[in-house]
Amino acid sequence: MRTIIEPFRIKTVEPIYFNTKEQRTAILEKAFYNPFLIHSQDVLIDLLTDSGTSAMSSNQWAGIMKGDESYAGSPSFFHFSNTIQEITGMPFIIPTHQGRAAERILFEILGGKGKYFVSNTLFDTTRANIEFSGAEGIDLICEEGKHPGIPAAFKGNMDTAALEKFIIDKGAKNIPLVIITVTNNSGGGQPVSMQNIKEVRKICTQYGIPLFIDACRFAENAWFIKLREEGYTDKPIPEIVHELFSYADGCTMSAKKDAFANIGGFLAMHSEALALQCRNLLIITEGFPTYGGLAGRDLEAIAIGLKEVMEENYLQYRIRSIEYLTEKLVAAGVPVMRPGGGHAVYLDAKEFLPHIPIDQYPGQALACALYEEGGIRSVEIGSLMFGKYDADGKLIPATLELVRLAIPRRVYTQSHIDYVAEVVIDVFQRRNTIYGLTIIEEAPALRHFTVKLKSNK
Amino acid sequence: MKNVKRSWAEPYKMKMVELLKMTTATQRKKALQEAGYNTFLLKSDDVYIDLLTDSGTSAMSDRQWAGMMLGDEAYAGSRNFYHLEKVVKDIYGYKYLIPTHQGRGAENILSKILIKKGDIIPGNMYFTTTRLHQELAGGKFEDIIIDEAHDPENEFPFKGNVDLSKLEKLIEKHGAKKIPYISIATSVNMAGGQPISMKNLKDLRTLTKKHKIRIIHDMTRVAENAYFIQQKEKGYDKKSIKEIVKEINSYTDGATMSAKKDALVNIGGFLAVNEWDIFEEARNMVVVYEGLHTYGGLAGRDMEAMAIGIEESVSAGHIKARVGQVIYLGNKMMDYNIPIVKPIGGHGIFVDAKKFLPHIPQGNFPAQTLAAELYLDAGVRTMERGIVSAGRKANGENYFPKLELVRFTIPRRVYTQAHMDVIAESAAFVYERRKKIKGMKMIYEPKYLRFFQARFQQLK
Repeated sequence: MRTIIEPFRIKTVEPIYFNTKEQRTAILEKAFYNPFLIHSQDVLIDLLTDSGTSAMSSNQWAGIMKGDESYAGSPSFFHFSNTIQEITGMPFIIPTHQGRAAERILFEILGGKGKYFVSNTLFDTTRANIEFSGAEGIDLICEEGKHPGIPAAFKGNMDTAALEKFIIDKGAKNIPLVIITVTNNSGGGQPVSMQNIKEVRKICTQYGIPLFIDACRFAENAWFIKLREEGYTDKPIPEIVHELFSYADGCTMSAKKDAFANIGGFLAMHSEALALQCRNLLIITEGFPTYGGLAGRDLEAIAIGLKEVMEENYLQYRIRSIEYLTEKLVAAGVPVMRPGGGHAVYLDAKEFLPHIPIDQYPGQALACALYEEGGIRSVEIGSLMFGKYDADGKLIPATLELVRLAIPRRVYTQSHIDYVAEVVIDVFQRRNTIYGLTIIEEAPALRHFTVKLKSNK
Repeated sequence: MKNVKRSWAEPYKMKMVELLKMTTATQRKKALQEAGYNTFLLKSDDVYIDLLTDSGTSAMSDRQWAGMMLGDEAYAGSRNFYHLEKVVKDIYGYKYLIPTHQGRGAENILSKILIKKGDIIPGNMYFTTTRLHQELAGGKFEDIIIDEAHDPENEFPFKGNVDLSKLEKLIEKHGAKKIPYISIATSVNMAGGQPISMKNLKDLRTLTKKHKIRIIHDMTRVAENAYFIQQKEKGYDKKSIKEIVKEINSYTDGATMSAKKDALVNIGGFLAVNEWDIFEEARNMVVVYEGLHTYGGLAGRDMEAMAIGIEESVSAGHIKARVGQVIYLGNKMMDYNIPIVKPIGGHGIFVDAKKFLPHIPQGNFPAQTLAAELYLDAGVRTMERGIVSAGRKANGENYFPKLELVRFTIPRRVYTQAHMDVIAESAAFVYERRKKIKGMKMIYEPKYLRFFQARFQQLK
């Protein structure tokens, strides 16, 4: 097969500022071994997140120039809401300044003490918003999803038997919502099959529980369905996407992922009564319902991006570039989540650094080593992000200790990716020289963003 | 040529334009009906001159657009954040910065941190979103603005001032412990964009210091307020806008900012404080509501545009042209005998609907009615600032505010003098036939901030 090339060329560039390993050692120490606290100018390749870091297209920039900044009733809003209605088939569209605001509004209405939100795997901010409302978030991932090293087609699937059992145990009335995250970010960017969504829908219908989709990476998930699921090979992506949304009662979306936008999000739903409640809250913290805390130009950029992301040439290139990095690392023996996910490569830190105990945060130690070695910024998705303390103050670890190398959309070239692979492999070869970390300061919620650590060297 | 008046002109020229759609009277009638006679619900495509708000509607400069291209969209540690942080410190003088997606995001966080149930928050007149956040956090707003502010005819130059004796009474009654902070707005919006004087601020600072009460500054139009101080207050005529802004801020302990006004951007805001403890708590909270503390729910480019906009907002040429345009429109309306709030404020003209339509009782929404009529006449969109905006008390009763106004807010750097002429002439036409105008009734009322989405019907 011939090389799959980018279905675009570069129109604007942004310089990268180079620094030395010695400088990075000092920077890391000053940032308390937390990549979130490093200035972006000190980063060579920024794989912290694929959220809001996309390169917009010239068409999106043209949309930016067209943005109508009227406070109320902007045509940019109507472009935005018509596009989302068309894609999701849902009539009520509520813009928010980003995805977490959509989640917060939803959970503030539906959540509360004694309630359970059940999901394949909830992401950090989603979980925080659920817990903030007093409710509990429950992850019911399928068995395949728990084993990073063993490949399977749909490792993001929900364990439907466990779902049914959970509903019977806790009572349907205590479960306001089932949420399917596509693709499953915390579980390695792994896709959910259409079959699984259908089955979950069936259970939800049976017990009268609404189903929402956390749709951040809906197009990447649709591409995997096309590639891997029987009966979808010849279906166009918009059709697969439409079917996927047809099983849901609503969705939350961070447009900073699969809409190529640098800011923005939305809620979409079928229930008018719920939409009315959401809009009442929206006005308090976000903004008027036709702008939701976004500039008009950003509504335009999202509307255009949502269409661009469903182009097959793009999706083929996107998924292939993740696979390319995965293959390079696997060939060198680096323990990674397999197969490659939709938006990131996940290193298995437990296997990578078996000599570092979990309460010394091997994932964070690995992320720091990657920065020090080659200026690559990644993020720990493990016990630092999700760990909790028991009554005695002992760490309850997360299921997986991963380091995510999230690839921003349309930003880095193949040479950048080659460089990333080389740095990871270099670190892998000197892995025995890496030390664990100790927390010296942390916040009560979402601690990973601002936590300060020291090296146990 | 000695006695010829010299006009001011805009200190900029147009680099990009946005085309407007012209509508017919029939089209406007239909559009207004569809919008439930609420100008908020009109589609902006159906509006000729949009004076709904000066918030987020400014024309950015070519420098700001260039800054947009320099946006660093890194999730953490974006260089645009550090630029903004520096500008806020240099120009505004506040130590710690938390960006938010807009002003109400900052109000939400601040209210949640500082207000406990049963607290009292005195302020120089309410503002809709500010008061709502105070109430949702369990506090109660108390108006301590001077009485002159409630009289549209009174020409006192600083109608945004605090009545210190009202504040002293509140402290006496509730005790300073029950007052987490005084909420002070510069260019008081609901009073008609009226400024507060430096002297009043200084006196307020002395009083609050004695009782150890913070002053939190709603600084969204601080530069416009500074211009009035420069023009009207003794001892300030030689000082620059920049110096005056910094002095104002120096008498306060922190600020919430909607950068969509003074700072000339389409989106963005921040919370700025001088106390480390509040900053730390806010930084933890902003992650939940807005985004990581180095972007606060804003694209990097928007922080860059804000940093540049803040610098432009305190330049003498800009602020003179800005307020000059508002005063031009106000004078023109006064020439047509239209009753407006005096003196003319900094960001818009506020028409006194009670005087304009004295035959319509406040319960039939004279200001809302007038806003609808103005749209019908020439497609000018204005906003009600009266009984609909005031909303209901905790016990469900309507607030009946003394001021029943229609706000003609002028977006910054967007409209020309010819647009101002059209606006004044249209208002004069409506004024001519005012006796034929009938009031309205409300047919849909939302729970919070009802003015945004309420629907009305014309009375027969």
